[in-house]
Amino acid sequence: MKKNILALLFLFLWPNISHAKIDLVILPTQDSVQLTIYNSADLTLVKETRFLTLKEGFNELQFSWANTLIDPTSLEISSKKKTDVINVRSLKYPPKIKNVGLWNIHSRISGQVPVEISYLTSGLSWRAFYSGTLTPDEKEMSLKGYVLVTNNSGEDYANAQVRLIVGQVHLVDQISSLALRSAPYSTPYQAKTDSNSIHAFQNGRALDYGDYSDVTASRSFKKYRRKAKAVLKEGLSEYFLYTIEGRETIPNGWSKRLPSFDVGKVPVVNLYKYEEERYGSQVVRFLSFKNDQDHQLGATPIPGGMLKVFRHVDQEHHLSYEGQSRFKYIPIDEDVELNLGEAGDVVVKPMLINFKTENYLFDRYGNISGWDEVYTYKIAVKNTREVPVKIEIKRNFNVQKWDVQHQGDYGAFEAIDADTIQYTLGMQSQENKEFMYILRVFQGRRGDGG
Amino acid sequence: MKKNMYLKSVIMLSMFCFLSLSVAEARIKLVALPKRADTIIRLDNPQFTLIEEERVLTLQQGLNKVDFSWNGVSIDPDSIRIDILSHSDQVTLLNVSYPPNENALVWEISSAGAREEKIRVSYLLSNIDRLITYKSVADKAETQVNFKSHLILRNFSGEDFANAKVLLDYGESFEEGIRHEETKQLLFLKAGTVPIEKVWQWDSKKQIWDPEEVDQNVGIPVHYRITNTTDSNLGQNALWNGKMRVFQLDGHGSTILLGEDAVDLTPVGEDMEVYIGDSRDLVVTQRKMVDKQTNIRRNTSGRVVLYDNEEQVTAKIENFKDTNAKLKMVQHIPGEWDMHSCNFEYKKENANTIEFEIDVPAQGKAELVMHYFRRNIRN
Repeated sequence: MKKNILALLFLFLWPNISHAKIDLVILPTQDSVQLTIYNSADLTLVKETRFLTLKEGFNELQFSWANTLIDPTSLEISSKKKTDVINVRSLKYPPKIKNVGLWNIHSRISGQVPVEISYLTSGLSWRAFYSGTLTPDEKEMSLKGYVLVTNNSGEDYANAQVRLIVGQVHLVDQISSLALRSAPYSTPYQAKTDSNSIHAFQNGRALDYGDYSDVTASRSFKKYRRKAKAVLKEGLSEYFLYTIEGRETIPNGWSKRLPSFDVGKVPVVNLYKYEEERYGSQVVRFLSFKNDQDHQLGATPIPGGMLKVFRHVDQEHHLSYEGQSRFKYIPIDEDVELNLGEAGDVVVKPMLINFKTENYLFDRYGNISGWDEVYTYKIAVKNTREVPVKIEIKRNFNVQKWDVQHQGDYGAFEAIDADTIQYTLGMQSQENKEFMYILRVFQGRRGDGG
Repeated sequence: MKKNMYLKSVIMLSMFCFLSLSVAEARIKLVALPKRADTIIRLDNPQFTLIEEERVLTLQQGLNKVDFSWNGVSIDPDSIRIDILSHSDQVTLLNVSYPPNENALVWEISSAGAREEKIRVSYLLSNIDRLITYKSVADKAETQVNFKSHLILRNFSGEDFANAKVLLDYGESFEEGIRHEETKQLLFLKAGTVPIEKVWQWDSKKQIWDPEEVDQNVGIPVHYRITNTTDSNLGQNALWNGKMRVFQLDGHGSTILLGEDAVDLTPVGEDMEVYIGDSRDLVVTQRKMVDKQTNIRRNTSGRVVLYDNEEQVTAKIENFKDTNAKLKMVQHIPGEWDMHSCNFEYKKENANTIEFEIDVPAQGKAELVMHYFRRNIRN
């Protein structure tokens, strides 16, 4: 077990002489640890409760953290219960000794005082990932959510309460860069160079945040439990706080996978999209649902992560891998569209079948000053799949003045913005559809708006 | 220990008593080293730190030379001053001379009699300074914070100060020693409960218009607004710039970190805006639904020389939170323009910037539609 964080208590014989440090050292035991781990930044708030046996008068508490990634500027000590009993006079970072803080605490009583020591560290992280299994008809999906907590902080955390924060926190400095400064608050002459040393962490332990390889996942271990742990989820400010039931031990270097939720039947829609400017000439498959109660969800937002989608192919529950999609944070009641990649079994083919110009205008010198361009497109849509699908086709024009007319089986039409339109079609299995639209573009004086 | 500290001192004040006034080299002869008495480290100027130290000189009748030298520290020689404190009418500073190739100066002091004289030496010392940090802990409802501020004293000057009075322009002073390469954190302002206003702000120049078009979450910046007034339990002085960390009580006896920001100097009466993080439960989708030239004027060659541009912008605001939100929305319209219609009231911040305050109900939506013409655009 690696224990790099130490809290030592020195008792003074003479309260007024600040250098009268004597060799009576008491090592207060750690009573409890709480880890609040963020996923939008490499940041964890650690709170330790310890019982200090204080003398009335001045007490000096040394806190040291060699080989960890603690931000020294975040160190704080406070009385857990009797707030007026102790008074923190100062926190001193002595010269030439790295990673040591010395609190000068004045106590009004003699005896045991529960204190909370809190600090920010980097190196602990978590990410969410998901596994979905579609029914053979692809109308429903069972969805399992997991979180993977990884400890590369340099410190072992035993029997810790683990809490996870979902949300976009704003930081001025990266915690890892604060942890690596030569002086806790840098130096008056070094302020600029220190801020550039973010990537200078030795031992290769610096985290390339947000890019955890699956190697960490394979190292994760699972304890056999009678029952999966519950996760308490609640909103705080713009964040969601997930508190994992009970206590966890996560030694340095280890990862731990914990179940987050398990929903049996989420109704899903097979959605296919076609938009040349965004996806090229391929149709892209999406799986669409909503984070609400109708979809057996909606209790909390869903943290962003990777979803791997499988499908039951037969009665024996054999699986087929459908694809994977990394998705963004999904608020409650928000529609979800999971991009599963290009699909070859649904085809959208636009064809320009006619082009003409008309309504010419001439200026007084006889030169052309305005005209219309008329484009006729035929769009053929094919669903070669065994299941019904929904298809969204977007067309962008990038012209100022236009007019569109449509004919045939075009489904629902919507003007998305000044130069984008969308057709939404519902397709039965093995169904083919065709429709046309005629785009008239007003050029030159024809576009003058009268 | 104390002795050790003193020996490490690299700023020296030495006194020489001369037998013969004409011998300038006699600086090394008889040295009385007056001890540093009261010392003040004054940090009211954020760029420069002023040290004031008082010492007692044992003056001879007649001319005395006092040598002030430093080694391994950076003192601005032009800033060095001496003040005669006890008998300014009988003790006179005659001149100041600088020995060659030395970090030193020599004061020639004339005294009417042999006496102990208290002097104050002041100078600007480099690489000793202060930072200000703030810590706020918000209540669960986010209506108020517990507000406090720390002074961070950083001494990398090369000089040890065994004991000094540390002063800022306001707040408590501290009696503290600080050694070279030492950093000290001291509680400096405890304002208690300070009301806050939580503001979500979307700016059409800074934020992405269509979040669906990007793969990352598009957050809306969230600020806490703290007003530096006495009504807010502040307002005694300007609040220095520094880093603020904002925490929130979690209802379980613990806190979470909401975020941190580098706040600007906030004079009395002004607002301090603290950017804590981004909301992902408030989503703005802004689109331009109309964008076309009208009222086109051409020259005799048929070239367009002047036109108006008709634009209609819609912004859909969705609130996925279970509480109401007031969104401050900043829109920018360049050049000459007039609003044809707009379904929300706005405040004109300047010629090209308008601001809306839009209330969005919990789990509800609002839609801003503004239809305007940009006038007289030259081609």
